[in-house]
Amino acid sequence: MNSPVSPSRVEQQEIDASAKWPVLVFLGSALAWLLLGGVMALAANIQLHNPAFLSGCEWTTHGRLAPAAENVLVYGWGFNAAFAFALWLMARLSATTLRHGGWLFVGAKFWNLGVTLGVGGILAGYSTSFDLLEMPRFVVLLLLVAYALIGVWAVTTFSIRNTENVYASQWYIFGAAFWFPWLYSVAQIMLFRAPVRGVLQPIVDAWYVNGLYSLWFVPMALAAIYYFLPKLLGKPIKSYYLAPLAFWWLVVGSALAGGSRLVGAPVPVWIPTLGIVSHMLLVLPLVVLAINFLGTLKGSLGAIAGSLTLRFITLSIVGFFVATILAMGLAVRGVAATTAFTLWESLRDWLFLYATFSVAMFGAAYFYLPRLTGKVWRSSALTAVHFGATVLGVVLLVIGMGGAGCTQAHQLADASVSFAKITDSLAGWHTFNSVALGLLLLGNVAFFLNFIWISCPINSRSTANADIPVPPALTLATKEGHA
Amino acid sequence: MKNGLTLFLGVFATLALSWAGLLLAAHKQLGALPQFKDPVEETLNPLPLSGLARQGALVYQDLGCATCHTQQVRGNSYDTGENSRNWGERAGYPRDYIRDSVVLIGSSRLGPDLRNVGKRIPEAEYFYKLLYAPESKVGGAALAHGMPAYKFLFTERAIAGSQPSYKAVKLPSGFAPAEGTEVVPTARADALVAYLLSLKDTYDYPTERGLNAPAAHAKEGGH
Repeated sequence: MNSPVSPSRVEQQEIDASAKWPVLVFLGSALAWLLLGGVMALAANIQLHNPAFLSGCEWTTHGRLAPAAENVLVYGWGFNAAFAFALWLMARLSATTLRHGGWLFVGAKFWNLGVTLGVGGILAGYSTSFDLLEMPRFVVLLLLVAYALIGVWAVTTFSIRNTENVYASQWYIFGAAFWFPWLYSVAQIMLFRAPVRGVLQPIVDAWYVNGLYSLWFVPMALAAIYYFLPKLLGKPIKSYYLAPLAFWWLVVGSALAGGSRLVGAPVPVWIPTLGIVSHMLLVLPLVVLAINFLGTLKGSLGAIAGSLTLRFITLSIVGFFVATILAMGLAVRGVAATTAFTLWESLRDWLFLYATFSVAMFGAAYFYLPRLTGKVWRSSALTAVHFGATVLGVVLLVIGMGGAGCTQAHQLADASVSFAKITDSLAGWHTFNSVALGLLLLGNVAFFLNFIWISCPINSRSTANADIPVPPALTLATKEGHA
Repeated sequence: MKNGLTLFLGVFATLALSWAGLLLAAHKQLGALPQFKDPVEETLNPLPLSGLARQGALVYQDLGCATCHTQQVRGNSYDTGENSRNWGERAGYPRDYIRDSVVLIGSSRLGPDLRNVGKRIPEAEYFYKLLYAPESKVGGAALAHGMPAYKFLFTERAIAGSQPSYKAVKLPSGFAPAEGTEVVPTARADALVAYLLSLKDTYDYPTERGLNAPAAHAKEGGH
């Protein structure tokens, strides 16, 4: 059963070298978008407690700035970071070099051009106003073609793999590589090419948004967790034989769960009901993933403290469980009666995007960047700032958005509280959230500086070369297709 | 799982199942929902939007109003302030929405629900004032808290002749423009206000009334 190929350090270096430039280009653009998105999200949040802020200019009115910020974070940061991580990991796990890097640069160019035009379109007033599909129609083809140029190499790399076994991370990346283009093109066709009528439109949008989080961002995060836990702890995933069960159950269940975003909406009752039931069925994969992840982590607290990647990955595990349990809670009819339309729902989506996915991508970048560039991180102070600001920012934002959501839910349900009063009592929470968003932005600036130092050949002359430690020998891991 | 083909087929089936089970099934049920002809009045409901209101819907879309405003009234079992806030006399039905070419039911209530705002506040003057100066006061209370101003939907210009245009927005002192000038809405503001005034689901469909009945009698969906 053991894989015939057990790649040595040399082969790994060859794989890393082939992935170096595509990964650096994707991660570099991702980080630029992350900073831009952070600034825009902060400005949009300031507008909530200070409505006059930037309201004079049509381009930065809240109704345009807030969706534009969300699109920058999702399609600019989220997708580029996922491309960087997934291409590298797919090559490593398939024990083959990443080929045809030139096409990846073309894909990266067009993807970033598409996002730029799309976000500019939203700000200029061509928004479609459908959640996460706001980008105007003229960028859709560009994004899909660019995605095809990028996604095809993840799949090709997988199909020319030199390993006999396929590891859990590969299932998740392989699945996500197909799910996104299908979700996106189906949503585009059903909303804009041949639009469906009436409330079918919000149903399509809810299906797409749910799919984007649970079939693109969550699989990427889970792929990172499945890879780094055994890699850095030097022991196999606990009860790995359950992982396929968790995979299929999780993806089938969450693919059907989109209707739970429409509890109480003017749609046939079976649609939210199907969503609620599917959400509740996610209990089983959650338990399996908890056994897999927490079981592996058990007794390794020392190792977590010692590795920056593991610290981020642990944060991502926590984020994933909190986000999924919150999503299940918010789907319950009685809960949704008061929490629907409040900041609780924004918190759920933000936890998936930031506390689960983004944090996992940070952890992965701290692992692969020194291996790709052969350099060490120049400033350990900056890495500490990044991790500290991220943890603190995430915790504060959970408190702030949760607190705002509670206030909002209680007061909206009580008709004796006037609407103006609700807005006034939320102002304090919005201010609090602005501080948290500022903190996250600070952490990301620190990461960006470190990234420039490690990746830019001009600046890194004085940066020490990395002495990459040989990963601890895995007794069982080769059985799981580890490269 | 070692076989790439099996993995691919499973991945395909996952999304195909969710597409067929959710979107295709919903489309089969609702895709051909027609207007309802009132047997007595012989009117078709919901009434189509006027041309100006249709243009206003596009302004609503491009300014991203749906970021903070919903357009959906929930059923009795979810009545958490909606009826008492006068946001709608009844819950919305899928049929209410077939008149909209772009359906933006929204997902955030940082601002109030707007589905029946044309019924609640049937005054154009109010909306012009709200859009130009949301913090201006009427009867001691500000029109809106937390809403940004949309001054770019208006033009400030010198008064031509002896009296201001009939379209000039009447603003309270402190928000009024300088002496000799006036604030008039642009065509986009006119369209947006026409759209807001058109937002009312007042017709109660006899065919759907049962959907708002207590749970024991509720049927699923609108067939």
